[in-house]
Amino acid sequence: MESGIKLKCTLAGLLMLTAANMAHAGDAALNLSLPAENKTASSFMLASNDTANLPLNVTSATPANEFKPAMFTGDKLHQYLGLTTIALVGLTAATAPDNSCETNCAAAGQQPRQTHGTHAQLAKAAGAMAIATVTSGLIDHWNDFHLEDGFRDPDNLHALLGATGALVMVYAINKSANSAVPTSHAGIAELGAALMVVAIKLTW
Amino acid sequence: MFKKFKIAALLASALVITAPVYAQDSMTEWLFSIDRMKGVKPVTDKRYAKECGDCHFAYQPGLLPGKSWKKLLAADALKNHFGENAELDPSTRDAILDYAVNNAAETSWYKRSRKIAVATEQGPAPLRITELHYISRVHQHIPEKMIKGNKEVKSLSMCNACHTEASKGVYDSDTVNIPNYPGYN
Repeated sequence: MESGIKLKCTLAGLLMLTAANMAHAGDAALNLSLPAENKTASSFMLASNDTANLPLNVTSATPANEFKPAMFTGDKLHQYLGLTTIALVGLTAATAPDNSCETNCAAAGQQPRQTHGTHAQLAKAAGAMAIATVTSGLIDHWNDFHLEDGFRDPDNLHALLGATGALVMVYAINKSANSAVPTSHAGIAELGAALMVVAIKLTW
Repeated sequence: MFKKFKIAALLASALVITAPVYAQDSMTEWLFSIDRMKGVKPVTDKRYAKECGDCHFAYQPGLLPGKSWKKLLAADALKNHFGENAELDPSTRDAILDYAVNNAAETSWYKRSRKIAVATEQGPAPLRITELHYISRVHQHIPEKMIKGNKEVKSLSMCNACHTEASKGVYDSDTVNIPNYPGYN
């Protein structure tokens, strides 16, 4: 049963990856070179793009069309996945079972764990969505992360906090899912969610 | 209850620590705003928009740090403003300079301004937006023919030729449309 859910989560992740890749099905290849390698070429290109060097006989390649922004892009997919993750986190928190007991705590503690209840399912969906968000961010914003810009750069912070938050959330979900007895995981999961919220806000 | 308080405190601390250290009045606005502040703050000053926009695209002050605007808009510098005489009467120049400095990159909570502020904190004041390493890096993959060889663009300094929402301070790749090269991103 559990392996079936894992398979479903894996399939969901793969589907999202495939969907994310479709948004990048262009001719342009990812620029994976180090920034330092391109500095010289970049400065030449900037210089040669200066108006002073503009040839007089430039011609249009194709007629200009009225611009309509694309309905579906990698950037938008990443955005929607991130927001959906936060929404699922909220639902997961809202459906958390109340483990407190006022009377007969021993009996309450002996009740079987609800490892496939609404809370658990939402948590797993949120975890899968968090991983999909990070993956789509890595694909679409690969060239926005530059260590040379330092850790105060908003894009660098977004990537680091977002990825850390997703991993912390997945750790909390895994910790609870693999435990035979109720285990404290809410604080860790909330920390992960908070990191993701901060990451989103920094580049919103 | 205490745990939730700790999370909330951690969240607030992270926001304060990770944001640039330029404390401005607009921090609260940024913190609680759900509006997107991903680009740079649009130009809101009519005089700035008119005086600058009469000759070229009125670049948002958030695209450069204050030290750059002070150099660019100095009275002597305006006599030779990239090869043109852009002298202004003293009161207009003062008003434009004040607006530019008060809305420069380091005063803004808009994301691209924060990137520019962090990147230009050290070192000399850049005089051209295209001199910023961040700006040149994100444009380096664009073939020469699409800018220099494109009669509707001609130069990287013509932001609004390709960034269709540049006047709103939006420079997302989703809103880029290079004239004569539809679909290139």
